[in-house]
Amino acid sequence: MNGTPRALNRVLLFIIGIKLLAVGLLLLLLATVPAVADWWHGWAAGAWAGAENAFRQTRFPGREESWLWIVAGVVLVAIIVAMIAWLSQQGKGRANLLVASDDDSTVDGEVRIGGGVAEQALRAALTERPDLTGVSVATYEFKGQPGLRIRIQPRQGVAPHLLAAEVSQLVEALDLVIGQKTPVLVHMVSGARSRFTKAERVR
Amino acid sequence: MTQDQETAEFMAAGPDNGAAPVAGEDPAMSRILRRETHSSRAGAAVIAAVLVIILCVYALLEAGVRAVGQPPWLVDPTTAAERIIALPGGISSLLLGASGAVIAMAGLFFLLHAVLPGRRARHLLRDPRTAVVVDDEVLASALARRARMAANVTQEQVMVVVSRQTVVVNVRPTSGSRVSHDAVLAAVQAELEEMSPVPMPTVRVNLASSGVIGA
Repeated sequence: MNGTPRALNRVLLFIIGIKLLAVGLLLLLLATVPAVADWWHGWAAGAWAGAENAFRQTRFPGREESWLWIVAGVVLVAIIVAMIAWLSQQGKGRANLLVASDDDSTVDGEVRIGGGVAEQALRAALTERPDLTGVSVATYEFKGQPGLRIRIQPRQGVAPHLLAAEVSQLVEALDLVIGQKTPVLVHMVSGARSRFTKAERVR
Repeated sequence: MTQDQETAEFMAAGPDNGAAPVAGEDPAMSRILRRETHSSRAGAAVIAAVLVIILCVYALLEAGVRAVGQPPWLVDPTTAAERIIALPGGISSLLLGASGAVIAMAGLFFLLHAVLPGRRARHLLRDPRTAVVVDDEVLASALARRARMAANVTQEQVMVVVSRQTVVVNVRPTSGSRVSHDAVLAAVQAELEEMSPVPMPTVRVNLASSGVIGA
C-alpha cells in the first residue's frame, strides 16, 4: 500500500525494454545476416554524415569545438536527474500521523495521533503470540489517507482465517481507542524462519 | 481482462455468496488490495534506472571532455561512431552476436515486466473489518497440516502446491497402511471452504502409488 508509481514504472520499463531489445536484435542481425550489414553501412554512414555536418555548423566562433556537445551534456544531465527522481519514487509513502483533525469542542486546535501509537499497540499485542514468528506494523499514506499495514509471519500450519479474525478483533479494539476507523491491511507472509521451524510447535 | 475488472469481480463476488465482503466496508481498500496482489515492478525499475544512469554518466563524461577539448577517457565519440558504422567488421561475429543476444535478453526482461500482469502468488480472505492478503505458501502450509491429519502421515509425506486456481495435494502414504483419497479431499475442501480465499481454487489430491517405509 505504498505510493510506488506503478503506471509510470510500466511505461518507462516498456520504453527501456523495447529500446534494448531493438539494439540487441540489430546487433544479432548484423552478426548473422550479410544483407542487414549492407543496409546498415548505407544508413549509418548517411546518418553520421548528417551529424558531422550539424557539428561543423555549430562551432563556437573562432574555435574548433561545437556547442552541440554542451547541449548533449545538458540533455544527459536532465536524463540522469529524471532517473534519480524516478528511483526516489519507489516505495515512498510512509506516514507519521494516523489522525489529524478538529474535534467538536469549543477549544481551538487540532487533535493529532501519531502512527506510532497504533504501531506499538498492535506490535505489543501480536509479538506475544506463539503462533507468529514475526510482526511488523507500519503507517502508510495512500491517496492522502493514512492506513496501517500489519505484516505477520505465521508459523507453518496456522489457519490463516482464524488468525485474520483475531487480528481483526485487535483492530476493532484499536478503532475504539483512536475513535476513528483507519484502513488496515493484514498481510500474512511466509518467511524462511517459519519454513524451517517445526510444525509440531503450532498450537 | 484488466486488473480493475478483476477487482470489480472480487467485489461483486462478495454479496452474491452471502459472505462478508473482501475488503471490509471501505471502497478505498479495493485499490489497495489490487496493488497488494500485483507486483509494483520496483525491482526492475531500480535496475533499469541504474543502468540508464551509468550509461548517461559515461556519455556525459566523454561529451564533457570533448566539449572542453581534452583527450578522451576511453574512446573518442567520433572514433566510436566510426567503429559502430563499420560494425560487422572490426569485431568477431561470434562476439557481436553474443553481445547482441545479451542486450536483447535484457530488453526482453524489462519488456515482459512491463507487459505481463505481474500477479503475485497471493489470495485474499474475506473479513468484515480489515483487508487480508495471504501468501500462497501460508495457505499451503495450513492445508498441508489438515491433509496430514486426515491422512495420518508425517509432515514430510504431504506436499501441497497452491496456485491461483488450483490446490494440488500430494500424499505419500506409509507403506502398509491405507490412505483414503476421499477423506483427504474432503478434509482439505472443508478447510478451504472455511478460509474461503478469493479467488477460490479447486482441490486435487494425488496419492503416490509407492509408500514410505518406516514413517
